[in-house]
Amino acid sequence: MGTIVNDRAASVPAASVDKPPPAGLRAREAVSGVMPALALFAGVIVVWEAVARVFNVPQFVLPPPTAIVHVLLAHQRDLGYAAWVTAQEIVWGFLLSGLIGAGVALVIARFTTFGRALYPLVVLFQNVPKVALAPLFILWFGFDLAPKVVLIVVIAFFPVAINMLAGLTTVDANLVALMRSVGASRNVILWRIQLPNSLPYLMAGLKVAITLAVIGAIVGEFAGAQAGLGYMIQFASTQMQTALVFAALVEVSVLGMLFYYAIEWIERRYIDWMPHTA
Amino acid sequence: MAVPDIAANAPAHIVARGVCVDFTVRGRTTRVLNGVNLSVPKGGFVSLIGPSGCGKSTLLKVLAGLLPPTAGDVSVAGVPPIEAVRQRRIGVVFQEATLLPWKNAHDNVALLMQVAHAGRGADEIRQRAADMLRLVGLERAADKRPAQLSGGMRQRVSIARALALDPEVLMMDEPFGALDAITREEMSDFLLEIWERTKKTIVFVTHAIDEAAFLSGEVIVMASNPARIIEALPIGLAYPRSEESYAAPEFARATARLRRLLKEGHRQALAA
Repeated sequence: MGTIVNDRAASVPAASVDKPPPAGLRAREAVSGVMPALALFAGVIVVWEAVARVFNVPQFVLPPPTAIVHVLLAHQRDLGYAAWVTAQEIVWGFLLSGLIGAGVALVIARFTTFGRALYPLVVLFQNVPKVALAPLFILWFGFDLAPKVVLIVVIAFFPVAINMLAGLTTVDANLVALMRSVGASRNVILWRIQLPNSLPYLMAGLKVAITLAVIGAIVGEFAGAQAGLGYMIQFASTQMQTALVFAALVEVSVLGMLFYYAIEWIERRYIDWMPHTA
Repeated sequence: MAVPDIAANAPAHIVARGVCVDFTVRGRTTRVLNGVNLSVPKGGFVSLIGPSGCGKSTLLKVLAGLLPPTAGDVSVAGVPPIEAVRQRRIGVVFQEATLLPWKNAHDNVALLMQVAHAGRGADEIRQRAADMLRLVGLERAADKRPAQLSGGMRQRVSIARALALDPEVLMMDEPFGALDAITREEMSDFLLEIWERTKKTIVFVTHAIDEAAFLSGEVIVMASNPARIIEALPIGLAYPRSEESYAAPEFARATARLRRLLKEGHRQALAA
């Protein structure tokens, strides 16, 4: 988690945020920014296709990209439904992780004595291999949405809590002293200084949480499910339908990317005082 | 221009007697300030100068009511600093501007007022913040965020924020320490102008000899090991001061004396 916090600290020099470049220039920069990634991606796909064909690799071992695309199109309704199920798990799990993580951080920062008691327990809990809890959650909460959401929360709330806590506590001590000197209560300081200060850190935590939420949803479905992309991957692999496994993987990745960039967009849109590193 | 006369017989505004401060870190107690006495006249400009670690910032924190002394008495306008702070008699400016990065200059200036004068109307606070920004020459940067301002401008916002509560005393802890040389001199001119207009009592911590001599009516020289005051040197140079003041014989005399005192203190500290 430390690296996430440090990322935000490694700020772009202030001068560069003064004036955004004109829109046309920005668009051109964006295109030239993604070109290398696209080129590399295309290269990998071409090599993959070539290897699969030239060496005549069996489809159940490594299907060529064209076969995966074919399955993606042929099964788009099944895949779409599975993605819908998994997306709901991810969204609910992520939202609850965010709320609980932020809540834990706020409690620890605001009620210091209780926080001193809570913090070690949170860290202890973080060191439980939580993926191993998935079967328990299935046992307790059934095969539907609930066990996946719970699993996601226990996996993903921690980076939210720890990042937000860093943001709540790294406020300027002199400024806090000034606020106190004019009679500001702890609640006023929390609300006016600590909370806004923690938002960029919260966003960093949420970006980690969303990727963990995707993992949590898939693992939760592996442990026991009747629908979803993880369920589909498991089902397809037992049937040796490897192309379908890859097709589901493609959908999972696309889902994860969409969620991640949605959060990044919110961050850029609403938390614009932190210089962006990307 | 009316020149504030800071003769020694002006009534004392800030008085410290036998001030000691101990810091305890991991069970070990260190004496950071030992038996400090000082007196600052009302409307005076007094600097605290000394090497790093001589306790000058600690002394300022004690005078500003941000740190209770371990022993000794301090009074600001006749009351203990904590009480003076409560009565909004003290404004503080730190080395870093300590502005909120998500608020613009205007809102940063208004911040302490909004807490301190919760009862007053938003319009009144807005008006006062605008007035303060005009006073520090930043009326056109009101809607700029700290990241869009230069270091000197940020410090002006910080000064405006302190002045907004209309304190009698301005405590400044190396406020220009992070600025480049040219900006520093500009800010010195600016601060004297503000001081002459507002008639505040100013206590100014610095480690720059020229800055201390140019700004102050009196410079209090501190030394470390043990942290103490070694001399209170009056600067015999009339206000208002300008570029020419740097070339005046009184200025040369004062800076030479300050330099010698600081070097002596440094040598003794090394020998101790």
